[in-house]
Order: sequence, then structure tokens, then C-alpha cells
Amino acid sequence: MVILEAQKIYKSYGNKFNKQEVLKGIDVSIGKGEFLSIMGASGSGKTTLLNVLSSIDHVSTGSIKIEGKEITSLKEKQLAEFRKKSLGFIFQDYNLLDTLTVKENILLPLSIAKVSRKAADSLFHSLASELGIREIEHKYPNEISGGQKQRTSAARAFIHEPSIIFADEPTGALDSKSASDLLNKLSELNMKRGSTIAMVTHDPVAASYSSRVIFIKDGQIYTQLTKGEQDRQAFFKDIMKTQAVLGGVQHES
Amino acid sequence: MSLNQLIFRNLKKNLKNYYLYVFALIFSSALYFSFVTLQYDPSMDEMTGSIKGGAALRAASVLLVAIVSIFLIYANNLFIKRRSKEIGLFQLIGMTKGRIFRILTLENFLLYSASVIIGIGAGFAFSKLILMILFKIIDIDMLAELRFSPEALLQTAIVFAVIYLLIMLMNYLFIKRQSILSLFKVTSSTETRARKLSIFEILIGIVGITLILTGYYVSSKLFSGDFTNMNRLFMAMIFILASVIIGTYLFFKGSVSFIFNLIRKSKNGYLNINEVLSLSSIMFRMRSNAMLLSIITTVSALAIGLLSLSYISYYSVDNGAASSQPDMFTLADSEDAAAFTAKLDAENIDYSQKEIEVLQANLNIGDIMDSALEEMNFDPANVSMGIVSDEALEEIDAEADEVLFAGYNDALGRFYNFEDEGNITLFSKSSSMDLRYIGLEKQSVVPYFFSGGGFPAAIVDEAVFTQLQNDLDPEIQLETSTYIGMNIKEEAQYELANEVFNDLFADAEGMNMSRMNSSASQKLVMGLAMFIVGFLGLTFLITSGCILYFKQMDESEDEKPSYVILRKLGFTQWDLLRGIQAKQLFSFGIPLVLGLSHSYFAVQSGWFFFGNDLWTPMLIVMVVYTGLYSIFGVLSLMYYKRVIREAL
Repeated sequence: MVILEAQKIYKSYGNKFNKQEVLKGIDVSIGKGEFLSIMGASGSGKTTLLNVLSSIDHVSTGSIKIEGKEITSLKEKQLAEFRKKSLGFIFQDYNLLDTLTVKENILLPLSIAKVSRKAADSLFHSLASELGIREIEHKYPNEISGGQKQRTSAARAFIHEPSIIFADEPTGALDSKSASDLLNKLSELNMKRGSTIAMVTHDPVAASYSSRVIFIKDGQIYTQLTKGEQDRQAFFKDIMKTQAVLGGVQHES
Repeated sequence: MSLNQLIFRNLKKNLKNYYLYVFALIFSSALYFSFVTLQYDPSMDEMTGSIKGGAALRAASVLLVAIVSIFLIYANNLFIKRRSKEIGLFQLIGMTKGRIFRILTLENFLLYSASVIIGIGAGFAFSKLILMILFKIIDIDMLAELRFSPEALLQTAIVFAVIYLLIMLMNYLFIKRQSILSLFKVTSSTETRARKLSIFEILIGIVGITLILTGYYVSSKLFSGDFTNMNRLFMAMIFILASVIIGTYLFFKGSVSFIFNLIRKSKNGYLNINEVLSLSSIMFRMRSNAMLLSIITTVSALAIGLLSLSYISYYSVDNGAASSQPDMFTLADSEDAAAFTAKLDAENIDYSQKEIEVLQANLNIGDIMDSALEEMNFDPANVSMGIVSDEALEEIDAEADEVLFAGYNDALGRFYNFEDEGNITLFSKSSSMDLRYIGLEKQSVVPYFFSGGGFPAAIVDEAVFTQLQNDLDPEIQLETSTYIGMNIKEEAQYELANEVFNDLFADAEGMNMSRMNSSASQKLVMGLAMFIVGFLGLTFLITSGCILYFKQMDESEDEKPSYVILRKLGFTQWDLLRGIQAKQLFSFGIPLVLGLSHSYFAVQSGWFFFGNDLWTPMLIVMVVYTGLYSIFGVLSLMYYKRVIREAL
């Protein structure tokens, strides 16, 4: 079943005279329970793609359907409503509110959805144990490590069981140990809960945790790789090869 | 881009952000200029006569300068901190500190001098209006003339130039002290970062509230007779001031976080959007702004308190005159009275005249009096009072052995209380009479002059009065023992009668008094005081409102990333705005409510020295203050609206 279906998305910035086309007709579809990575060099338009897919930015033309619902024509208020119900976000710089504790940060999406306090509590407990952040629930973001912050951010994305989770370079600011920790947790949650994840990354290691990788170059889809039955190492090598062809930045690791 | 272009661009950008600063600058220079103009205005000293209006205005303008310069320096500090990144950037690309300083100086000079010039222009235009307001308040019929005073211009220019130099000095020191690295960090280090509340802070929170409440409690007891000697009274006042001010500081430092933390704890991590934006943000911010907020609160309390007191005095002038002079005209002797009545008859003015014999005698009132004046050389066993016969008064009748007191003053009433009834001994020269005291009439029957300045007069039966008259102690008698009071029957003729009175007794008013005249002269003093306090209070209100607004502007920029996150999570602009409304309610409301309650208790403890009506004038002052103050809250809300709209 297809969760997200995007057709012929164009996105350009600037005015009539000085137009900068960032996305030039991209078609993407993401199936339910899929863990998709979007890769590409800096400036290839991958973050822009994520932003328009996640309704944070508007497309210039094209259609995006999430769970069969066209989101490009929604009004600001309906979009917000849609985001809070159906979408989850994980960002490179965590995007936690400094003035809230870990638990308060995680429960934020539930408070908009008006979930009962008791239900919220039990949801929190099971998710926090899975992500290993139970013991820091009363700490403030600046008292915990980057890895813990990102897991908190992940917990916030998962807590209201959205139809799709968007992750923008979630491992970008983490050391390799915390990064692989987080990715393991993400793919675990992806398996166990059947959550759909769309992740933008420039790190082939991170991408190798997903089930499918889309490569973007100059605002268009260059190619895509599917993990299929192969193991992570093999998939990683595939990704490296494609990236070399793509002419992206070389990564050692 | 040349340096000039840079300056010009900065200026344009700043003007948009700091329009309130410019407004405050224009307002304060306008106000200062018009105050100084008034001070040099010849009509000032003419009309105020005995009290020097000019001198009072001069004192006020000094205070005005103090408020304005503190505000300007503070605001400038905020701005330069906000721009520290830009300054760091200039340094990074190779500008010398001296050059950056020159840019800032020039930029500020343009902004500052333009505002001051506009301010002076506005001040000149408004000085007539201000003068008219003053004349209106002090009830004088005089035409306000527009008059330009070069002295005032010079003085204003000098004062604001000095403030400008001071600001530049601060900027110079700021730039000089900072390294490139620290400049980049300034904004992030100004607010304390979120962390858990320590036991110590909880303690501070509790102590803060306790201190404020203790201060309030003591203030309510201040004049209720618990502090009987001057020394102790003074100590109590110092204690109240200290405990309330320190309490206010600790309140912002700890109590707010403490209370908010309790609320948050009770939510067990499940916060709604309003709580996220208000509780959690304010909790940390108030703590780091404790000093500023407590200064603002204390001075607002002072401003509201003084405004209330001066308004109470002004408001009570007519009442006060009525209680010190029971009749419209008080005449010293029958000759003057005859002269006056002759004139009144000539003018066809209807009047009524009464003559009351007032004797002075000593009384022992120890039985009915709770004295709080132990150390004031006051002996209830031997009090000198004015004695009046009940025959002279139509409305009051006393039995043979009865005595009534009439004329009760709220202020003195705080120091002594009369029992409802009891026994009194009246001493004549050679004997004494035991009388039964039956009560107190609030309305006085003879002027203060006859009853020892604020103490009631005693009303006795005609028989007792005659007995006393035959056996008087001549040593304590006043020069005259007859009070002649006169009332005009037609309200419409009152003013005319007063003119007649003034013509007749222009040179030697002496013991001849007109209630209208004393009312007017009181109004002059109180009105001038109210006028000055009012404008000072307004200046303070505007400057402190601006400071809070700037603070909020800073906070909104700081919190912008949070708004981005929240909007990404699916909160709408309206959700956020509602949360911000709650936040602003606290940010502006807490200092305001605290200031109001401080001033309420301050006024409550001593208002009776100033007049005889507490609630109406105080509430009017408070409502007006709150209304004007809220404008800044609304303005900041509009700023937030813009920030939120731009987030995402």
C-alpha cells in the first residue's frame, strides 16, 4: 500500500527574472512500512524535497498525496492539522525545546492531539524504554548527550504513531557510535511498529540501514537502489559505488 | 559598500525595529523641553504665588533626566548586545575597533539628534497643551501662551548631549572590552540555560514570598497603634521597605520558577501549548532578569503609590476644607462680619449667619481614649479642648451631664481612638465637673483654629457651658472666643460672595477665612504636585514599558527556533499566538500585579494623612496605569505575531 505519492514536483525559488529551479519534476512513492533514504550532494535538492514532501514548504507545481490526500492544496490551518496527526519529524540539530524536559518534549505531539493523560503516559513509557531514554526523562536537553537528544527527538516523532516520519540528516551531528545506535533503533522501530520513514542523508552508512535509497542530482532522481535480500554490508557497498558514479563527495568509513 | 552606505542601511533597519526607542526618546525630550520651558515661563511664579512652581518643576526635571538617562543607557545596552554579532563580523573582516566605534557613534548620532530635535519641536508645540492641563488641574482661569524660551532649548540640548556622550562612552567600553570570540557568544550567554531547580532556589522562592507577605503585614499594622514611638515607627518603615524590595527580587529570582515548577510537576510531562510557551519559558527568563524586573516593579509601585497619594490629596481638597472650615466663610469678629454682611446685602446675596461661643478648657479623657502617643508629650488626663454649648447648634442636643465630640480627622484618628462611651472630667478654673461621654460626630462644628488643630470640639449642655463660662481659666483662652460662620443660601451666588469677601479682606485676611479660597490654594499645591508626579509617572511608565517591550523583542528572537519546531510539529500560528498571549500576560502581568499590590499596601498604610477618600482616587490611578501599561503588552504581542508568522 502506498503511503506517499508525489508526482512531477517542481520547486523554484526567486522571482520571475531570477529563477532558481531546485526540484525539476520528481516522482516518488513510498510504501507503507518502508524505510526510504534520499541521498545526494550538497545543493542537489534533497532537503528541499523532504521539506515539500513534509508540507513545510510549498511546491511550485506537482501533486503530493499522503494516504490518498492531496496536501498541496491544503490551507495553512489544515496543513498544521495534517502535520500534527500524520507526520513525525527528526532533524539534524534535534529541534528539541530547551525549556522543556525530555518527557515534556516527547509528549508534545500528544498534547496537540488531545490524547488522554493516562494513555500518553503509557505510550511514553513503552517508547522511552525501547529507545533507552527512560532514565533521563526529567532532564533538560542541555544536560544530555547528542545521541540522547536525537533519540528523544526520534521518540517525539514516533509517539503519536504518524503515517510517515521524515528525518533530515538525523545522524549529521552525531559521532559514529551514537549514529549507529540511533540508526539501529530507527530500523528496529521501523520493523516492529511498521512505521514508514523517509530520511535525507549524505552518509552512505546511514543510508545502508534503510530498505531503499533514492539518489538525487540537480533536482532530478538520478537512480535508486533497493536493499532486497542482501545484508547491510553489501547494500553499503552498492551505495558507495553509486555515489562514486554520481560524483558525490567520497566518504571513508 | 562604503561606510556611509553601511551606516545608512543600519539606520534604516534599526528604525524599523526600534521605533519604540525612538518614540520614547522623542517623548522624553519633548517632555523635558516643555518642563524646562514651563520652568522659565514667567507666568509660573506669578500664579503659584507663595509656593515656587518653577522650583518644583526644576526638581521634577532633574528626576526626569535621571529616569530618562537610565532608560537610554539600558536600552542602548540591550541594542549593542543584540548587534554584537555584527560588530564581531566587522572586526573579522578587518575593521579596527576605532572604526566600528566611529560607525556606531555616527549612526547613533543621527538617530539620536533627529529624535531630540523632533522631540524639542513637539515639546514646544505641546508646552501650551501641558500648561493648559496644569491650569485646568489647579483650577486657574488663565490663558496659556505659547512662548519659546532659548534658555530651555539650551538646557535641553546640553542635557541630552551629556546623555549622548554617556551612551557613547558605554559603547566604547563595550567594544573595547570584547574580543571577536566573545562578541559572537554574547547573545547565547545572556540568558541562563534551562536546568533543574535546586533546593537552594526553592528556598529562595519560599523566602521571597514570605518576605513580601511579612512586609505587607507589617505595613498594615504601621499606623494602627502597634508602633508607638517615632523611632520604632521609623524602624518599621525601613523594615517594610527592605523586606518588600528584597522579597520582590527573590520573588523573581526564585518564587516564579518555584511556583511554575510546581504546576509543571503536577502535569507530569504532559504540557499543552499554552503551558509550553508560557510556563516553561518564563520560568527561566524571569530568573535571569530578576534584577531588572524587581527594579521595574519597585519603581512602578513607587510611581503608582505617589500618583495615588497625590490624587487622593487632590481629590479630598474640598472635603478637607469642609472639615477644617465648617461654614463657607469664617469671620474673626463682629465688626468684620458686619462689614461683610453689609456688602452682601448691597449685592442682594442671601446668607445665613451663626455665632458660636467657643471656650477653652482642660479635660481628663483618659477613660475613653486609647492613646498611641505615649511619647509625644500627650497626656489624656489633661487635654485642652474647645467647648461649645449645644444651644448654639441646631442639630445637636446634649443632656445636662452629657458631652459629645465633633470633628474627627482620619489621620489623627490613627493615633487615638475614642471609646463609644465613658466618663470625662471637665476642669474649670477652680472646680471640676464629671460628665458622661456619649459619642463622636464626624462633622466638625467649629474651625480647626478653635479646636486645637484637628482635635474634636466638645459639645456640652448649655448649663454646663454657663458654669464653665463663669469660672474660666484665662490662661488657656484664645484671643477670640466667638466663632462667626456664614453660609450663602444660593449656590449660584457663592462665587460672587467670595469675590465680595476677597475685595473686602484682600489685605488683611487674618482670621477671616473663605472655604473657597483655602480650597483653591490647596488645589494649587496638590494640583501642581499631581501634575508633576503624573508626568514623571507617565515618563516612567513609558520607559519601563519600552524596556519590557525590548526584552520581549529579544526573547522572541531567541525563541524563534522553538516556534519553528512547534510549527513543524503541527501547531498553527493561532495556537502559538494563544500561547504567547498567556506568556505576555505573565511577562507583563507579574511585574504589574506585584507593583499594584505593593503600591496598594503602601497607600493603604498611610493614605489618611493625605485625604479622606481612598478607593475612588486609588482605583482610578491604578486602572489608568494598567491601561497605559497594557499598550506595551499589546505592542509586544504584535511583534511576536510577526516573528511567529515568519517562523517556518
